[in-house]
Amino acid sequence: MNDISKKRTGNLISIQDSLVKARFFDDVIMGETAEISVDGKFLQAEVLQILPDPKNADAGIVEMQVFEDLTGAKIGDEVVFKGTPLSVLLGPGLLTSVWDGLQNPLYKLSEQDAYLTPGMNAPALDEEAIWDFTPIVKVGDAVAGGDVIGTVPEGKVDHKILVPFSFGPCKVESIIEKSSVNITQQVAIVVDEQGNKHELKLAFRQPVKSPIPFKERAIPTKPISTGVRVIDLLAPVGYGGTVGNPGPFGAGKTVLQHSLCKYAVADIIVMAACGERAGEAVEVFKEFAELEDPTTGESLMKRMCIFGNTSSMPVAAREASVFIALTVGEYYRYQGKKVVMLADSTSRWAQALRERSGRQGDIPGPEAFPMDIPDQIKGMYQRAGEDLGTGGSLTFIGTVSPAGGNFQEPVTQATMDATGGFWGLSQDRADAKKYPAIDPLVYTTSVYDGFISWKDRQKMLTTLNEANDIDQTISTIGLKKVPVSNYIQYQKGLTIDFCVMQQDAFEKTDACTRPERLEIINQATQNLIDNTIDFQAGDLDDEQLKELIKHKFDELRQWWRDWNYSAKTEEELAKLPKAVDKFILQEEYAV
Amino acid sequence: MIRKEINKISEVGKALISVEGNPGVALNHVVELLEADTNQSLSFAKAINITEDATRFQVFNGTAGLSTKTKIRMLEVPLTAGFSNKMLGRSFDGAGQVADGGPEVIFEKEISTRLDTLNPTVRNVPKQALWTGIPMIDVFNTLVKSQKIPIFAGPTEPYNRLLSQIAQGAQADVIIFAGIGLKFDEYQYFKDQLSQSGNIDKTIMFTHLAGDSQIKGLMLPDVALSVAREFGDQGKDVLVLLTDMTNWSNILRNVANYQDMIPSLQGYPGSLYSELAKRYEVAADIEGAGSITIIGATTLESLEDPVPDNTGYITEGQFFLENGKLKLARSLSRLKQGVNGKTRSDHRAIMTAMASLLADAEKAHEASEVGAANDPYSQKLLRYRTDFINNIEEPFGEPIELEAALDKCWAILKRHFEPTETGLSKKLIDEYWDKN
Repeated sequence: MNDISKKRTGNLISIQDSLVKARFFDDVIMGETAEISVDGKFLQAEVLQILPDPKNADAGIVEMQVFEDLTGAKIGDEVVFKGTPLSVLLGPGLLTSVWDGLQNPLYKLSEQDAYLTPGMNAPALDEEAIWDFTPIVKVGDAVAGGDVIGTVPEGKVDHKILVPFSFGPCKVESIIEKSSVNITQQVAIVVDEQGNKHELKLAFRQPVKSPIPFKERAIPTKPISTGVRVIDLLAPVGYGGTVGNPGPFGAGKTVLQHSLCKYAVADIIVMAACGERAGEAVEVFKEFAELEDPTTGESLMKRMCIFGNTSSMPVAAREASVFIALTVGEYYRYQGKKVVMLADSTSRWAQALRERSGRQGDIPGPEAFPMDIPDQIKGMYQRAGEDLGTGGSLTFIGTVSPAGGNFQEPVTQATMDATGGFWGLSQDRADAKKYPAIDPLVYTTSVYDGFISWKDRQKMLTTLNEANDIDQTISTIGLKKVPVSNYIQYQKGLTIDFCVMQQDAFEKTDACTRPERLEIINQATQNLIDNTIDFQAGDLDDEQLKELIKHKFDELRQWWRDWNYSAKTEEELAKLPKAVDKFILQEEYAV
Repeated sequence: MIRKEINKISEVGKALISVEGNPGVALNHVVELLEADTNQSLSFAKAINITEDATRFQVFNGTAGLSTKTKIRMLEVPLTAGFSNKMLGRSFDGAGQVADGGPEVIFEKEISTRLDTLNPTVRNVPKQALWTGIPMIDVFNTLVKSQKIPIFAGPTEPYNRLLSQIAQGAQADVIIFAGIGLKFDEYQYFKDQLSQSGNIDKTIMFTHLAGDSQIKGLMLPDVALSVAREFGDQGKDVLVLLTDMTNWSNILRNVANYQDMIPSLQGYPGSLYSELAKRYEVAADIEGAGSITIIGATTLESLEDPVPDNTGYITEGQFFLENGKLKLARSLSRLKQGVNGKTRSDHRAIMTAMASLLADAEKAHEASEVGAANDPYSQKLLRYRTDFINNIEEPFGEPIELEAALDKCWAILKRHFEPTETGLSKKLIDEYWDKN
């Protein structure tokens, strides 16, 4: 395969931003990668299109996108075609890593220079790290692509060493004993049906644009505890599910993503920081290392890996970063792990495609996006899913940054169509500094039995909806004309919104709500919804009575929010439903 | 050294020229344009698009006066900017040439203007507040060292006054002023303000006036930010003022149009987001070195315009100026959480409580316009809203220290509300309510 005599080359004939054309005389494969030699540096590129050469019938022209800055490139610069599509190195050492969009390890690169300059690269996985390999197949065993030949512990994760997915049926010819090896050492030799021998190591390369298969795909139904109340109560996401999370800037997408990183119950979190602020990715890999994983109690970074193709990095690598991250997610799913992948933001990915198709001169679709953008988005989300065959799942939560905050734009619309869940962030709620700004009235979920029953969920929603309607009535005709009973209903809705739907992401106890606590909150909430409250009007007039009602609810909300911040022990937790019961009876509860 | 020359220009357009064939120029390399007979230097230009049939250049000084006979001398280097500590106190144009009529500056070195991405791993997580004395910023949207944040404002708002006020109090070693498409008055205003506040000797001004060559305006942020970055690498805390990035984006749009690029929204190129991000991302707190903070100005008709919209997704928040007030609802500092937990114990809570009440007050205000906010609580909210606009959203006035500003917030709450109406915890109420 690496026969030097078969080196295929071409020469640049056109250079425009990150798009180049080269003339070639041999052959070029669609989608293969190439290296362009510029001033002694080698820049990574990918073949987008192959065309005839109008000037030379013996030659062809290949159009490529280049993943690095082309300053200094000249007509005639040599292109070497690599024969392999864009791929990712899979193996132990993925976790805790921080890469750019092409899997160059950023910490390693920082040893070369503080700035990322064209042509810089380093091995994707640490080649010196030693792993304790335990074989589980023996000489003579039949294996094929995706089969496990051994395991290594990767932190607390039991990392399975797989036969590369591209392999057909093989027999194990040799395999090493239990021993300590690095990823460059051979651990086994397998022989395929044609009698060819293949060396296996702990790591192998996998193309990123075609999915790793499922063994037995299932519909995602088991809800993930995300710790975010409005999600877990109203719009739960299942293991293996997909969610689109659009919101205008400043609506809190990033804070929400960070919360999910910290609190979602999962084995592994893969983050694709795609075309977003570098500072946000830095916060994750520098601060999350100090935080605890909710399930293992270890450093949070031990369950994470991050692809940071941030907004000032080369645009062409943005598309790659999402596919690379997805493939890593699929790889761990195949090992039976529960993986959550966060892509922030899929709009930047779509914009990268828009920039590229614009340069290629394609006829633009709506808002100049490529015509097939909905299909590309669907194809991407389709790679998530639950696999009963392996016990693993890959959940895909993608943020969307709609231009002008307008949910009608093409990427948001295509995402709604592609995903099973939808968490719409509202500008009005964000302006009122309500967190999370997920509008409890603008969401969808495909998980029917979440942490609370469908019926309870509907009751909560109805109350919130009614409160919203009454609020609008108050705004148009004034409070005076609203009946007292409606006003009480309105105050109930406000209380649920303020104490249950809103949460303080920066307050330790309130930031994350687990199912047991959620159940207590639900119990209190349902009691508040179900029961009528007699506020003992006495000789108060309508206006005075409404003031009294507001005052009583204000007190309850303050008490409840204090409880959100402070209640930890079983005894403290039990106080909420009791307090609400007493409030319903209008008895003293503030103890 | 003998430089290769090209003797025929085949095409002269707005800001762009082309030559036929392949003279061997590399992408983004600089050429010098010379008067054919006298060899007098007319301008520099940069290669932006190369094929084996033609090469296209952006001309820094504009194309007026160029002819097909104008000579092109290849310099075979990418665009650089001169750097020297002696630049402090001086004014330059968008290409980094002296523009204040003073003596030439002898540069210590030439620096790249490519604005390579800083490796994220050498960024520090921003943790140090920059206090401005403006309550709406200090209390509600704390500015943080290394932040990138624009002022969003209508074209007639006093955004330059606000920018200048923030700069005057700024705790920075070096101030880099980058003005694009400015009116002369605006340029002079900044210069006077920086002189009066005694900051001029630590300031370098890069200025492009409305009507100057578009390409010089387009390249100005790169030159200014490269110089800022050099100071940052040397360990200095640098404050960059970018005004106005809408002008810059409009030049970008014009030039993309001359280059026949397919427009995305409102004629802007599809790369608007990436182009803006490349500049704003220079802001950083660099491990083992200094920092760069960027405060920009983005003028707008509507928040949904592509420039403010893309900017909002790139920057770490925005200060929203409307009717001369800094509006709480649309302003945001994304980095404030890194600093406002270490100030006074009531800081975060009072911020949230007042914002939430103001949102209710805005609703009451809307209702009042149709005569619907007649109940006592709505009336309370309306009084609170007026108080808040006049005393907290007013950015111009005597600077106030953080603690005094927080006390002022409590006083406003106490003037209008009962403790339970504020949504504040009992603990904080007990601690602060009666003190103010």
